[in-house]
This record gives sequence, C-alpha cells and structure tokens, in this order.
Amino acid sequence: MTTQKLVIRSIRKNIKMYYLYFFAMIFSISLYFIFSTLQNDQTIVTMVEASMNFSTAFQVAGILLIFITIVFTMYATSIFIRRRSQEIGLYQLIGLSKAWITRVLILEQTILGLGALLIGILVGALLSRLFLLLFMNLIGIEAVVGLTFSSQAVIQTIAVFTCLIAVTSLQIIWTVYRSTLLQLFQANNQNDYFVKRPSIVSSILGLAGLSLIGFGYYVSTLIVDHADLLMFLMLLVLASTILGTYLVFRTTISWILYVYRKKQNGNLGLYNSLSVAPLMHRMKGHANSLTLITVLSAMTITMISLSYSLYYSTEKDVRLAMPFDFAVENMQAEAAIISSKLEEEQIEFDHYELDAIRFDGAWVEQDPNVDNRHRTFMLFSAEQMVQAGLDVESPQDGEAIYHNTRAIIEGMENSYPKYVEYPSNDEVNRLTVSNFKLENVMNYRFYGEQLLVSEETFKRMKDSIQENEYKEFLAFEVFHLLDTEKSDTASDIFLTNVDSDLYITDFYSAYEGSRQNYGLLIFIAGLLGFVFILSTGSILYFKQMTEAEQEKTHYRTLRQLGFQVNEMMKGIVRKQLFVYLIPLGIGLIHAAFALNVGSVLIAASMLTPIIISMAAYIVIYLMFTVVTIRYYKSIVTNAL
Amino acid sequence: MENQKTPKTVLIAEGLLKSYALKGNAQQVLQGIDLRVIEGEFVGIMGPSGSGKTTLLNTLATIDRPTEGNIFINEQEISKMKDTQLSNIRRKHLGFVFQDYNLLDTLTVKENILLPVSLTKTSKDQAEKEFNAISGMLGIKQLANKYPAEISGGEKQRTSAARALIHSPSIVFADEPTGALDSKAASNLLGNLNEINQARQVTIVMVTHDPLASSYCKRVIFLKDGKIFSELYRGEKTRESFFKDILDMQAVLGGGNQK
Repeated sequence: MTTQKLVIRSIRKNIKMYYLYFFAMIFSISLYFIFSTLQNDQTIVTMVEASMNFSTAFQVAGILLIFITIVFTMYATSIFIRRRSQEIGLYQLIGLSKAWITRVLILEQTILGLGALLIGILVGALLSRLFLLLFMNLIGIEAVVGLTFSSQAVIQTIAVFTCLIAVTSLQIIWTVYRSTLLQLFQANNQNDYFVKRPSIVSSILGLAGLSLIGFGYYVSTLIVDHADLLMFLMLLVLASTILGTYLVFRTTISWILYVYRKKQNGNLGLYNSLSVAPLMHRMKGHANSLTLITVLSAMTITMISLSYSLYYSTEKDVRLAMPFDFAVENMQAEAAIISSKLEEEQIEFDHYELDAIRFDGAWVEQDPNVDNRHRTFMLFSAEQMVQAGLDVESPQDGEAIYHNTRAIIEGMENSYPKYVEYPSNDEVNRLTVSNFKLENVMNYRFYGEQLLVSEETFKRMKDSIQENEYKEFLAFEVFHLLDTEKSDTASDIFLTNVDSDLYITDFYSAYEGSRQNYGLLIFIAGLLGFVFILSTGSILYFKQMTEAEQEKTHYRTLRQLGFQVNEMMKGIVRKQLFVYLIPLGIGLIHAAFALNVGSVLIAASMLTPIIISMAAYIVIYLMFTVVTIRYYKSIVTNAL
Repeated sequence: MENQKTPKTVLIAEGLLKSYALKGNAQQVLQGIDLRVIEGEFVGIMGPSGSGKTTLLNTLATIDRPTEGNIFINEQEISKMKDTQLSNIRRKHLGFVFQDYNLLDTLTVKENILLPVSLTKTSKDQAEKEFNAISGMLGIKQLANKYPAEISGGEKQRTSAARALIHSPSIVFADEPTGALDSKAASNLLGNLNEINQARQVTIVMVTHDPLASSYCKRVIFLKDGKIFSELYRGEKTRESFFKDILDMQAVLGGGNQK
C-alpha cells in the first residue's frame, strides 16, 4: 500500500474524530479572511488612513487573531495526536520509521488544512459583505458597499495558513520523535495526574488560591484611587488573580471535593461516582487548561462588556460632556451669523445667553503639608442653566456643586465638602463645594473647572472676586436644535463659522466621532471575543471528548451492573456543569471586578450593556456544554 | 445438602438460539440450550473456545439478547423485556464478576462495593452493615479506602465479588473470574465464593475454562458447538475426585474445536 493510500484511508477513518477540529480550522480561517478583507476594503482603508486609532486597532487585532488561531490549533493538534498515539505506536511496532510516520501525519494535516483553507476562504468571502455592512452600521456610515473579492486578503490568509501548517508540523515532528513506544501505548490511560488523597500541603495551597484571588480583587478596588501606580497595581492584580485561579483549579476544588467525599464514608452513590470522583481526580491535570479558559473568559467578557458599554452609552456620555448642541464663548458676532444661517436652512432651534465668570483659584487641600492645587474655574448660575433647558438643581446659597464628567478619573470624587479659595475683596474668600456631579453644565473644551452656584451667590461672587487678579466675565451663546434630522447641515454651519483654531466642536460632531471610534472598538472586540469563546469552548469540548473516551469502560461496567442511561446521565450532566460552570463563574466574577475598575471610563451607567454582553457570552458558552453532554450521551448509550 | 422443602428455581432457559450475522452468513453460536438453575446452586459452564460459553452467560445475564428462546429469572420472562426493564432486573436481581474486574478506578474499594446499593432505598446504616459483613467474609475490609490501582489482582477480584454480592442478588454471574489471577489468588477467591454460596444460599453461575475453578461447583455443564454436551454433578464427592472427573470429561470433549 502506498503512503498516499494509507493517508487517505486514515483520514477517512478519522474523519468523525476530526470533524470538530476541521470545523474549528475552517472557522478560524474564515474569520481571519473576513478580517483581512475588511482591512483591505477601500472604504475602510480611507478611514484607517485618516485616523491613527483605527490603524493601530486593526493591526493589534490582526496580530491577536493570528496568535489565538495558532495557539488554538496547536492545542487541538496535541489532543488529536495524543488520541492517535496508539496508532502511531502500532506503525512503529511493525517497523515503520519515525520519519515515515511524521511524513504521513504532516501530509494528513496538510490535506485537511488545505480543505479547511478552501472552505474557509469561500465561507469568508460569502460572509465578509455581511460583516462589512454590520461594521458600517455600527460606526454609522452610510456608504455604498461594493465589495470585491480581495486578492490581498487571500494572500494574507494563505500566509497565515502556511505559518499554521509550519507550526503544527514542527509540533508533530517534536511529538513523534520525543515519545517512546511505551509512552505511545500508554498515552490513553495515562493517570499521571491522578490525585488520590490530598495532603495538608494541598489544603494550605487551596486556601492560598482563594486568598490570592481575594487579594487581587481587593487591590483592584484601589486602582482608581492610585492612578499613579496604575501599571504596578494592574500587574499585581493580574498576577495574584491568575495564580490564585490556577491554585483554585489545581488544589482548592479537588480538596473541597475530597472533604465532601470523605463525609460520605464510602457510600458515594451513582451521581457522585460519575461527577465528584472523576472531577476530584482530574482537576489537577486540567488545571492548566481550566485556568487558561477562565482567564480568557474573563478577558473576553471584560473586553466585550467594556467596549459595548462605551458604544452603548456613547450618546449619553457625549451628552453629559456636552449639554448644549452648540456653544460659543464671547462670540456674539459669530453666534448671530450661525442663528441667521440656521434660520435660512429652516432649522428650528432655541438660543440662550449664559453669563459666567472665569477666575483663578485653588482647591484647598485638607493636608496642610500639600500645596493647594491652583486651577482656573468657571462659575455658572443654576437659575440661568434651568432657563436654558438644563435639568440642574440649584445649590444652597453660598455653596457650589462641582460639575465634571471626569471627576472620578481625576480623583475628585471623595471627601466633600471641599473648598475653593479665591482672591476676594470680602473676608469670605472661600467657596464651599458641597458635592460633585458626573456631568458638565457647559460643553467641554471651554477652559476652566465648572462650578454651579445659585444666582444670588453668582452675583455676589461677581463683585467680590478681586479686580487685580485674573477675572473675566464671559457670555456664552448656546444653541439647542429642535429638529435633529438636519443635524448634519447644522453642524456644518456651526463648524464653518467658528474659528477652527479654537478647536471648538459641537455635540453632533463629537457624537459621530466617538460613535466611529467605539463602533470600531466593539466590532474588533466582538470579532476577537467570538474567536476567544469558540476556542475556549472547543478546547473544553476536546478535553471532555477525550475524557469520555477514557471513561467509556466505566460506563460499560455501570451499564452491565444495571444502571440506566438516564440515571447515569444525571451524574454526567452534573459533572459537565461543574467543568463548564466553574471556569465560567470564576471568569464572570473576575470580569465583574475588572469592569468595576473600567467603569470610571464611562460616566453613564454600564449595567444594561454589561448584562447583555454577559448573557450573550453565557448563552454561546453553554452551547458547548450541551454539545458535550450530547456526546457523552452517545458514548454511554453505545457503551454496552 | 438440599433440605426437605422443594428448592425454588431461579433461572430457566428454554431453547436458546443465538446467531450473529457475519457478512450475510449467519453464524450459529447457541443452537438450542435448555437449562434450569435452582436457588443456592453453584453452576460452572465449561467448554472449548468458541463453544459459546460467554455468549450463553451474557444472554442469561440479560447483557445480550437471544435470537430465539425464553429466559425466566425468578419466573419473569426477560427475553422480550425492554432495555430499561432489563437494567432494573440486572440492578436488583443480578450480580456480576468479570475477568478483568471492571472496577471504577476513580472510586475506592468501599465506594466501588457500595455502588449497586445507590439508587435503592437502602439506608446508610444498612449499607454500612452489609459492607462490613461482606468485606469481612472476603477479607478486604482493611482495604476500604484504597484505590483499585493500589491493590493486587486477587484483592481487586474479591472487591468485584463483594460488589456483586452487596445487594443480595438472586444470581451472581461470573465470567472467568480467575482468568487473570495466579493459582493462589484463584483458589482463595474460589474458596470465598464457595463459602458465601453455602452461607448465604447465593446462586452462582460461573463460566470458566479452568478445571480447578469448576471443581468448586456443585454442577458443571459442558458446552460444545453451541449445545450442551454433558453435565457433571459433584454430589458427595470430594473436590479432588470431582476435579478428576472434570479432567476426564474435558479429554472426551477435546481441547480445541476439532471437526
């Protein structure tokens, strides 16, 4: 029999075992192809050239995608070589050389890979238009999508694919040459990680794992207040939670199971025999992959939730930073032109004038050893704001409220009341700032920290701030569009009529800008997240598949003893829920703490987008559980 | 010695046929077997390779189905039962000892033994009592918390026997229980089985190719080409002379499948 025939036969024989592997490969190739098609799409290329953010985001995402694909394929390959180790051993036993075996395996891999490449590119080509439309929709651009088959994308995909084949070939060579015949024959019932009785050390390590995670969570809550140590604290959190997670999987869980089991005093029962006992023994061997899966899950959930929150709350966030559609400072002439132009275009709007005072002052530090922080402030009157349509409460007489969407990031959320000192004619040269609000009362980019006071206080301060110091009376002209359909035209009118050197922007332009940025972010995060979840899910599935094969003899024995498939499935489902839900649960908690830190980036509430992202993740993830359970069911049913 | 009252019949097989379709050619493995086992019997089934020993045992033990014929266990006709009913019969009325032990290597000796009483209404105290009694009889009590990987083959097989007995089944089926054991461990196990058979009136049906093993039985059935060739009763004979009878019968039967 020639080598080719043997290869084709062995592929045909193994195709069932391979099908998921094959799909996983097709899937990653088509995703990469879609990605590189988008990268090379003319519309996107123009956008990318315009913005540094876009091009870096695309590059980073591309590298990450290649990285995950390679790691995942290597992982899958190693599992499949292991499953076929007996076959490899047999070939060697009948006298075929290692070189021959490697050649056959690599040939097989390449044939499968080429199939996956072809199908992957076809699927990718079909789907990329859909993805492009989705992308355009996300970032709010209405462009005519005329997608052509991108040969550049094909070349890129082939290049990545070649890398993939090279890496897996090396892996095959390494595995075949390194393993001895004995190892090959025993690979399937290797119980090298078999935990029998955890020692005292493992209970200590088990507790250490939990405490490390707890410590990591605790430190994570400190990050916001110690932004100067950001890098160090972040690394500390990452290191202690990841190490803690690893220990939890390696020892804590099997230790807890052991204690539980010991309590049963030998009367374990069928369900526990099929869940607690194998879990306790195998947790240690699964520690690496379960840690990887937990960390990846946490990362994916955080990434998706955060970018979705950013995208979801774009409008709210921009509105909080820019309460008025248009605003200009001391530019009556320009304001008049804008008004008349808007009227010309028959765009209805409200127009108000607001007084403000800009002055130099300082935040009084409670600690006398620290110098007061000198700042420029802008003082607004609450009554005027209410007239201009803003929903603000008037502070008590003599007190001010600090308005800043970035108050938390700037570390200004604690220890109120604070005091602002200013050079005054009166004796009272301190203004009490009773509280802060995460919203601006004037569009950002106007210089000065925003303080809101009552009209009366405003008037009094107007006179009392010393003349010889810096003090400026400002007149803001603010506009509210009543007719948002023509916001584009209105935005153009505004921008062309203010001096572009002043970097003034309007609500609509700012909104479009951040919608594009966050649209890109959620798109890339979604794509990567999708790849992440499918790789983690598949890794778990592969592992469980192998485990099911290994435990097949147990299932046969139990069937012979007269246990029914349904009864056994109850125990197996319990085990699968453990295997899948523990990493998911820990991953979700990790993500929750990470998001807690990330929430300072966004002024609006993140709850809805976080719940939606987590739910989506859980649903996709649990699909793998269902597929695994179905696989187990077929094994148990056919065991007898 | 059987007592005055007529002993109960626990297993009846009538006209058992079993054929496997092999590429269109039906191969007859069992060609009409009639068998009756009464309560408390220790029956051995012998015969050359390919004579259908294991097929017969599997069919009687409800693991396999006969092509034709009827099987009654405790007067219940089982050959037409559904799989779930069969499972129930196995779990409640039958016990199994396999050649390669079939212990779950993730469970301790005690957990393995107590497995069949899970899902039944046996209380924990009751189970504990049963475990103590049976493991004491088989001399494996001190191994309760060991894993199968930590004990010897003979100990494994005694564990397997304990598992087969824990739920007081009507019949215990043993498939070459001594096949993987050395002679000392084998006679230990057989001695144990014999004692338990007498002390608890447990019915045992054992397939073996080992004349020494079958010399512990009360009756030995010889199969040849899927039919019952002959039967030997031990009666009042010593084990040694019964052993000689069995050897003689084997000589008549011929070791292989000579045609």
